[in-house]
Formats: sequence, C-alpha cells, structure tokens
Amino acid sequence: MLTKSQAKAFFLGGTALCGVAFLLLTLDTLAQMPARSNQDAMSEEVVRGHMIWNKNNCMGCHTILGEGAYYAPELTQVVERRGKEWIAAFLEDPESFYPGRRKMIKYDFYDPAIVGAEEAARNKADTIAFLEWVGNIDTNGFPAEPDLVQGAATQEIDPTKLEGAPEMFRNICFGCHQVGGQGGNVGPALDGVSERFEEDYLRQWIADPQAVKPGTTMPKFPMDEATLDAIVQYLQTL
Amino acid sequence: MQPTIQYKTQKIAYWFFAACMLLFALQLIYGFILGFARMGYDGLHEWIPFNVARATHTNLLVVWLLTGFMGAAYFIIPEESERELWMPKLAWVQLVSLLLVGVVAIVGYHVNWWEGRKFLEIPRELDWLVVVNVLTFLLIIFMTIWKGKRKTTTAMVLFFGLLSAALLYLPGMITFENLTFDSFFRWWVVHLWVEGVWELIMGAILSFLLIKLTGIDREVIEKWLYVIVGFTFLSGILGTGHHYYFTGTPRYWLMIGGIFSALEPLAFLGMAIYALAMARRGGRKAPNRIALMWTLGCAVMSFVGAGFLGFAHTLPQVNIWTHGTLVTAMHGHLAFWGAYAMIVLAMISYAMPELTGRSMFKGWKAEWAFWTTNIGMLGMTGAFAVMGVAQVYLERKGGMDFLEVQESLEVHAFGLVLAAALLTLGVVLFIKNFLEYGLPVEVDSSSNSSGGGSVLATPQRPQED
Ligand code: HEC
Ligand code: HEC
Ligand code: HEM
Ligand code: HEM
Ligand SMILES: [Fe+2]
Repeated sequence: MLTKSQAKAFFLGGTALCGVAFLLLTLDTLAQMPARSNQDAMSEEVVRGHMIWNKNNCMGCHTILGEGAYYAPELTQVVERRGKEWIAAFLEDPESFYPGRRKMIKYDFYDPAIVGAEEAARNKADTIAFLEWVGNIDTNGFPAEPDLVQGAATQEIDPTKLEGAPEMFRNICFGCHQVGGQGGNVGPALDGVSERFEEDYLRQWIADPQAVKPGTTMPKFPMDEATLDAIVQYLQTL
Repeated sequence: MQPTIQYKTQKIAYWFFAACMLLFALQLIYGFILGFARMGYDGLHEWIPFNVARATHTNLLVVWLLTGFMGAAYFIIPEESERELWMPKLAWVQLVSLLLVGVVAIVGYHVNWWEGRKFLEIPRELDWLVVVNVLTFLLIIFMTIWKGKRKTTTAMVLFFGLLSAALLYLPGMITFENLTFDSFFRWWVVHLWVEGVWELIMGAILSFLLIKLTGIDREVIEKWLYVIVGFTFLSGILGTGHHYYFTGTPRYWLMIGGIFSALEPLAFLGMAIYALAMARRGGRKAPNRIALMWTLGCAVMSFVGAGFLGFAHTLPQVNIWTHGTLVTAMHGHLAFWGAYAMIVLAMISYAMPELTGRSMFKGWKAEWAFWTTNIGMLGMTGAFAVMGVAQVYLERKGGMDFLEVQESLEVHAFGLVLAAALLTLGVVLFIKNFLEYGLPVEVDSSSNSSGGGSVLATPQRPQED
C-alpha cells in the first residue's frame, strides 16, 4: 500500500515535472506571440486604444478574444462586422443606435460636444485602430463561422448589389442590414425592400422611424435631403 | 458552556469570519443589480453601470474568500503548530488594512478608477498595498509555524498554498502594450489560483476539518491529501492551456490544454471520494453535524461545479463555441460556490462553536441555510445553463444578432433572480445564525493549552488505511 512519503514524492515530483514543462512552453509561446498578434502593426494609436480599453474596463460588459463579461457583444471581429464609420458614429452616441435597448455607457471622451472635435475624433480613431488590430490576431479560428445558418447562408453572396450604394449607406446602414447576402444582422435584410414598401413610405421611415412606427429599434440618422434622396433611390434598385 | 479553542489568539479568526459575512452580503446585493440588468431593468445604469456592478460583485467574492482563508489559517495554524499566533496585534492591523484597501478599491470602481482586466481590476497603486498586506499575513503564519511545536502536513500545505497564491498575484501586475500578453498573464493569476494553489488551501482546510470531525488518524488523511494535490498540479498546471486556445497563442495548446484540463476533474473527484470515504469510516460521530454537512457538501459540489461543468466546456471542439458565453458564467458560479464558498462556510460552521462555546448549530436555521443556499445555487446554475446553451446555438452557431438573442433570454434571467432569491434567503439564515453565536469568549489559555482536543469534536482514534 502507498505510504505517506511515497504520496509526498508523487506530489513533489509531478509538480516539478509539470512546472518545468509549463515554463518551457511559456518561453516558446512568448516568443511566438508577437508574430501571431502582428506586434509590428501595433501603432501608437493601437496602444492608446488598448489603454482606453483597459482604463474604462470595457471588458466589464464586453468580451474580446472571448474574455470578459457576457453582457455586450463580442468585439474581436467588430470592425469587420460593422465597419469603421459605423463604429465611430456609434461610439459618439451609443443609445441613438439602439434606442430603448440594453445600454452602453456614453463616454464623454468620444463626444465632440464635451471634449472638442479633435480629441473625440482621436479617441474614436484610437479605439477603432485597436479593435482593428485585435481583429487581425491569429486566434486559431475564433470566433467560428456560424454553422447552423439557414437564412444568410442559403442566400447567394452578390457583391454587385452594393454597387451604386451611396456612401452613407455603405458606412452606416450596411452595418446593420444585409444586402446581397452581406452586411450586419441587426435589422432585416433589405433585398427586395422596394417590393415591400412604397417610395414615400421609405422616405418617411428613414427620415424618422419613430414617427412611422413608435417604439421601433431602427435608429434615426441626421442626414441632408440629398443623401436621403440618394438612399431612397438606391433602395428602389433592390 | 466554556469555549473550546485551545489558544486565545485563535479568536482573531472570528473577526475575519465576521468580515466575510459582511462582504458576502454585499456581493449578493451587487449580484442582484447584475441579475436585474439582465432582465432588462437597468435603472441604475447611470450610477452603477454593469461593468461597475460586475467588478464589484466578483472582487467582493474574491476578497471575502481570501478573508475566509485568512481567518481559517489564523484558526488552524495555532492548533496545528501547538502555540499561540506570533504577534497577534499585527494580525489585527492586517485585518483592518485589508478591509480598508478593499473599501477604497470598491469605491474606486464606482468612479472609473480601475484596470480593466477581468478579476484583476484593482488599480496598480492598491495592488502594492495588497502585496504588503498579504506579506504581513504570511509572515505571521510563517513565524507561528516556525516557532511551533510541530510542523504538520496540513499546516505546510496550507502555508504553501497561501504563499504560492501571493506569488502568483505578481504576474498580474505587469503592464503590457500587447493585449495578448495581458490575456496570457491574467490566467497565471486566475487559472493558477482556482485550479492550482487555491486547491491546496481548500485541500488543507478540508483535511483539517476531516481530522477534527471524523476522528480518523491524521497520517491517513494527510497521505491522501498529498495524492489529491498531486493530481491537482499534475493536471492543473498544463491545464492552463484551456485558456490559451484562442487568444493569440500557438496551436499546440489546443492539444496540451485539452488533454491536461480534461484530467483536472480527477482531482475534484478524488477530493469528493476521499471526503465521503473518510466520513463513512469515521462514523460521523461529531456533534457538529452542520460543519460535516458543509464539509462533505463542499467536496461533492466542487466536483459538480468545477469538475463536471468544467469538463463540459474544456475540450477545444466545444470551447470554440462556448468561449466567452454565459456557459462560462454557469460554470464560474457553481465552481466558486462548491469549492471555495462552501469550504469557507464549512470552516466558519466548524469554528463558531469552538470560538464562542455555544452550540447554535443544532437549530433549524443552520440546517435550512445549508439546503436553501445549495438549492438556490443549483437553480442559478440551471438558469445560466439554459441561457448559455441558447446563446451558443442562436448566436454563435445560428448567426443571430447578439442583442436579439439576449433579449429573448430575459425571461430566463427572471428564473436566475428567483433562484438567487432562494440562495439569498439561505445566506440571511446563515448570517443570522452567525450573529446568534455572539462574540468569542475570553479564554484562559494557560489552563487550556495543555488540555488538548476540543470537547465538540470527536477525539482522534487511530485507523488503518
Ligand atoms: C455598461 C456596459 C458597457 C460598457 C462599459 C461598454 N459597452 Fe460597448 N456596448 C454595450 C452594449 C450593451 C452594446 C450593444 C449595443 C447597445 O445596446 O448599445 C455595446 C456595443 C458596442 C459596440 C458595437 C458592437 C456591435 O457588435 O455592434 C462597440 C464597438 C462597443 N460597444 C465598444 C465599447 C468600448 C470601446 C467600450 C469601452 C470604452 C465599451 N464598449 C464599454 C455595453 C457596454
Ligand atoms: C443600428 C442598426 C441599424 C442601422 C444603422 C440602420 N438600421 Fe434600418 N433597421 C434596423 C432595425 C432593428 C430595423 C427593424 C425595425 C422594426 O422592424 O421595427 C430596421 C428596419 C429598416 C427598414 C425596414 C425593413 C423591413 O423590411 O421592414 C428599412 C428600409 C431600413 N431599416 C433602412 C435603413 C437605412 C436606409 C439605414 C441607413 C440610413 C438603416 N436602416 C440603418 C436597424 C438599423
Ligand atoms: C474550483 C475550481 C474552479 C473555479 C473556481 C473555476 C472558475 C472559473 C471562472 C470564474 C471562469 C471564467 C474566467 C474568466 O473568463 O476570467 C472559468 C473559466 C473556465 N473554466 Fe473553470 N473553474 C474551476 C475549475 C475548472 C476545471 C476543473 C475545469 C476543466 C475541467 C474548468 C474549465 C474552464 C474553462 C474551459 C474555462 C474557459 C471558459 C471560456 O472559454 O469562456 N474550470 N472557470
Ligand atoms: C444574488 C445572487 C447572484 C446573482 C443574481 C448573480 C448574478 C451574476 C451575473 C448576472 C453575473 C454576470 C454575468 C455576465 O457577465 O453577464 C455574475 C458574475 C459572476 N458571479 Fe454571480 N451572482 C450571484 C451570486 C454569486 C455567488 C454566490 C457567487 C460565488 C459563489 C458568484 C460568482 C460569480 C462569478 C465568479 C462571476 C464571474 C463569472 C465569469 O466571469 O465567468 N455570484 N453573477
Ligand atoms: Fe481554467
């Protein structure tokens, strides 16, 4: 039968062995991580964006690389998912993008009215640079592509549908809506939208969704008449 | 009845346990803030946004557990070393300063003063104070063991567990510009604590309690203690790899982390079998049945929460889908509860009659506290499990939008809050019972220290293995 000193030897021996193996693997991992994370591409903006991230504990609501809290979206691929302009507009006033829904903090340092246009733009650019850099880390395939998709996957991807879209549409609307099988999935896909709605209705809707459908989660975007025209015209082609 | 502690300096443990109760209660309040926010009632958002409530919730958890471990050490070490604590006045200073640092940190979180890395939110300046505080604690424990009459395995395992926990705090204090390095070393603290050195602490407290409560021979208990912590480190150190799958680390971790972390449940299974076997062999003679219930409950629930539910998402093929979802929250709750909350509550249940000389463990309150907390926590685990699995299928596998999925889960968050209310009821009963014990009574240690053996625990009797 096992004696106490044998048990002790098992404990000390096993721990020493595994400890040494772990340290060796750590050395190798630390040597590989700069290349895997594109440390070369880590500009000053990226580092500042990382500091904004840490200083404000964004990880207390969000996950990044799958680590953090589960209250707000995973952000590893957010630049790819939403686009930079979308994120910049979102950070300035998160609530306007998701009226009446789960709240993100509206940070002063992103708000030109509070810290001035230059400072706010810089903080947004830093954050986005950081998020974009994170999106390029080699994560061994995380997050995985959804593999149970019916709607999106069965639809043919057709990039030509986005041709001719006004800039505002590409930068903002596309982050939440799909067109030709690509784009965000917050709102419904806009393919065939001209068959579902009259032109006038679309114009009113985009100009002020709440007026048309109180309580809707589609946000209102300030835009000039020409942009609105261009978007409505474009929607007619879908 | 006369108090039954043999060394009057053990009394300091009472105040650590009292602090524990207070911090635990506060943790639950912040838990409700999180739970209600998940139900869609985030009325406090302007003042206590989710990230503040969350950091407070988890940090209070860690602080009350550490306070409990310290109280346990101040209780156990004199008995194991057969002498009074070295410099008990310093232990008071240590308690008060620990609480001060804790309060400053928590208040700081509410005004955006922190370092946003989950579980390591304490700002760097305060980290140093924590280090000084813990060094003081370790010094007192070390000197007591050093000058003591004997150096038992239980005392040594406890000491080295506490010492390594302190050392492993240090890698968490390095600043990196590269996020992947932040993440890499964060796990040296978080993983190597809960799946490594904290298990030493837990194992040592467990064997102390088993020696006292079952009367089985120390040599037998301590032999198995070595085997179990041996398994812990054999699997747990390289098991850190289960956090290095998808964070910018090389691919070989999928293999190494997968294999070794899949073995980790063995250590918890061993712990459960060992505790149950010892209790059966000892014949459960101890009058303090509640302490035995918490002790055995801890051994079993830690296997369920850490071992079983940990295994459920530890293989890389599963983890790629569940990583960073509410599945993790499900596991986190039951693992922390079963392993660490329950061992501290077991220690308190054992120590209170000894410290105060009153046997309040006989009433219904103590028993109900055990059952309602555990059933409540299992209910919460179930609610998190439903939310987590739904999130994995709808969002991660089905490609639905994050917020849309979360909003459809609000009804389960209501279930979470209901179960949490049951847990809270149990905790209120536990605290009420704690208060009814009253303060520790003065001991005349000169007449007591030679007495040996407490009247409430069964005397030791030799056993064969
Ligand atoms: C109080 C919790 C909370 C904190 C703190 C927080 N966020 Fe958010 N964030 C959210 C929520 C909730 C959403 C989802 C959209 C919404 O409802 O506003 C979100 C959405 C986002 C998005 C868009 C994600 C997407 O997929 O559409 C980005 C980008 C973002 N947050 C960045 C940040 C940054 C950067 C910080 C730190 C400076 C931060 N967040 C801090 C809660 C939070
Ligand atoms: C933050 C995400 C978001 C952005 C950005 C956004 N939308 Fe929407 N949109 C929605 C949501 C959500 C709905 C569904 C609202 C409802 O049904 O109440 C919606 C609905 C619509 C609809 C009705 C579609 C249907 O089939 O019912 C149209 C048209 C539309 N949006 C156009 C636009 C245009 C044009 C833009 C850019 C100016 C835009 N959206 C930007 C979220 C967004
Ligand atoms: C008492 C012991 C344990 C406790 C207290 C515990 C607690 C936790 C906590 C709090 C997290 C979240 C950490 C973070 O994201 O910062 C976590 C993650 C994790 N735990 Fe444990 N755990 C324990 C044991 C185990 C065991 C034995 C296993 C495996 C068999 C395991 C597997 C995992 C995995 C795979 C994750 C990562 C989840 C993800 O990818 O999001 N845990 N654990
Ligand atoms: C009133 C009871 C409680 C409620 C309502 C509650 C609720 C919550 C919620 C909603 C979260 C955040 C999950 C997210 O990021 O979205 C959380 C985190 C956490 N809670 Fe609790 N909780 C309670 C009690 C406890 C107890 C008793 C423990 C420990 C034993 C505990 C340990 C944790 C841990 C470890 C985390 C972090 C999990 C992770 O990061 O994966 N909680 N809790
Ligand atoms: Fe782990």
